[in-house]
Amino acid sequence: MPNAILDPTGQADRTSAGPAFTLARRRPGLRGARVGLLVNTKRNADLLLEEVGRLLMKEQGAGSVMARTKLAFAQPVTEDMLTELTTGCDVVVTGVGDCGSCSASAVTDGIMLEGRGIPAAVICSDAFGASADAIASLRGAPGYRYLTTPHPVAVLTPDEVRDRARQLVGDIVSLLASGGASDGTADGEAAA
Amino acid sequence: MTQAASLDPASLDPDAAQRAIEYCYEQGWSDGLPLVPATRPLVDQFLAHTSRDPGEVIGTLEQVGRGCTVYLAAVNAAMAGCRPEYFPVVLAAFGALMAERAARGGGWQSTSGPAPLIVVNGPVRAELGFNATGGVFGPGFRANATVARAIGLIVRNAFGIHPHVLEQATQGVPGRWSICIAENEEESPWEPFSVGGGVPAGTSAVSATLLRTSEFVDNRHSHHPEDVLWDLADTISRTGAQIFKEASAGVVLCPEHAQMFAGAGYSRAAVQEWLMARCGRLPADLRRAGKGDLSKISPEDEARQAAAGAGEISRTMMSSRQLPVIVAGARNAAISMVVRVFGEWSGTAVPVEVPAEVTAGAPAGARAGTGTR
Repeated sequence: MPNAILDPTGQADRTSAGPAFTLARRRPGLRGARVGLLVNTKRNADLLLEEVGRLLMKEQGAGSVMARTKLAFAQPVTEDMLTELTTGCDVVVTGVGDCGSCSASAVTDGIMLEGRGIPAAVICSDAFGASADAIASLRGAPGYRYLTTPHPVAVLTPDEVRDRARQLVGDIVSLLASGGASDGTADGEAAA
Repeated sequence: MTQAASLDPASLDPDAAQRAIEYCYEQGWSDGLPLVPATRPLVDQFLAHTSRDPGEVIGTLEQVGRGCTVYLAAVNAAMAGCRPEYFPVVLAAFGALMAERAARGGGWQSTSGPAPLIVVNGPVRAELGFNATGGVFGPGFRANATVARAIGLIVRNAFGIHPHVLEQATQGVPGRWSICIAENEEESPWEPFSVGGGVPAGTSAVSATLLRTSEFVDNRHSHHPEDVLWDLADTISRTGAQIFKEASAGVVLCPEHAQMFAGAGYSRAAVQEWLMARCGRLPADLRRAGKGDLSKISPEDEARQAAAGAGEISRTMMSSRQLPVIVAGARNAAISMVVRVFGEWSGTAVPVEVPAEVTAGAPAGARAGTGTR
């Protein structure tokens, strides 16, 4: 009997991961909601999220906006900042996943927020879907829904960034509030 | 794995080996080149070359929730084609890389697709056959080639970072997973690079960082060290490499350039200081490349300097840590390499473990490598 070929990934004999991922319960709408903006420091992310926050207040009746800026875009949000967001906000919008590492970590942030009961809308550039999808699977949330905006974002003028925010805001509302989520994800199950 | 000289070709089964290699490809473990199928007896030989526990976690990538143990590093090193006695060097190289913020952060996933630069110092170079002279950037030398490849396989397999998936390199870097150089201490006029990284001369050590590329500077006819320094400064200062106000670089000097500098009285630190004072661009150069916001010179200062007829460059390096100087290659032509460090390099050197006792079954090369290094 020949020797077995060893697996170099450490994943082959891994037993199934922890409990199944569930989305945070959605509110009926965003009226009065405390909106958190998690800015990842990629160019134009601050302006994009700021404009999204403004539109959510103006058009959806959101109660307040609180912006926080990540210290390292390549890494998931720190525990301190996560706690601050989960205690101070009802929903969070984060982005922009506009590079290899930050697209993955933005999706990770969204999944961590959902795990703590906070609906999250993650915005990635559409060039990084593969990275975003892969990290969602790795984090136990295959099919986790995030929003995309056409690549590139970094070169846009301020007016173009505000246009992007305008284009995204409807989907953001759909993703964060059950009034707009018609595919059953609002009941707490991750889309497949 | 046994010494090549002891292998009897008639006893080998190349057809079985080919099937095993194909199996490894099918599992998605390969970087594109054939892998050595790792088995328990082979990996045990690797583990016999370290006192560290196979279960010890030697690196985690928090953002992907994956980690690497000594055991997984051994499996990947074996697959990369390392000899078991190289394993302490692989561990030191991986330790040195994971000590760097750039590698712990988003480096492996980055659109820039950076390549590790691994620098080996000390007696282990000769003991294990690391090339420090001609063709030091490769290929052709098993120790250099496979230690670098082992790091790439660890990133792929233990961390799960695959191209087009979590690895998002736009174009990548020529030589990724193959840049492992030994310093040419014998022909360097200065102390070993690892001494600056905290390990005394005569002790084997590995230093490592990530590179965005390497660029040659061919200057073999100048008699004046400053001519060569200007030539290096020009390559270091190109605008395409600059994305922040400050930018690390590095210089791998050939022995001829290093000896020329030393002969004119330049210490390593003096070379660094000369270059640091002159590397950078005029604000106008940066503006022309659409990078005017990277200038550290205010418009007022720029105007004042222009009025005085003396425009100053916006310097990109303010600390010698941003400009490591290494000596490697053959003393046969005056060609040096500018290496483009990704982020910042701490320069930390990690000592290569010398196992207290290598198992009796280990090959002769490994036994020769034990004791005082």
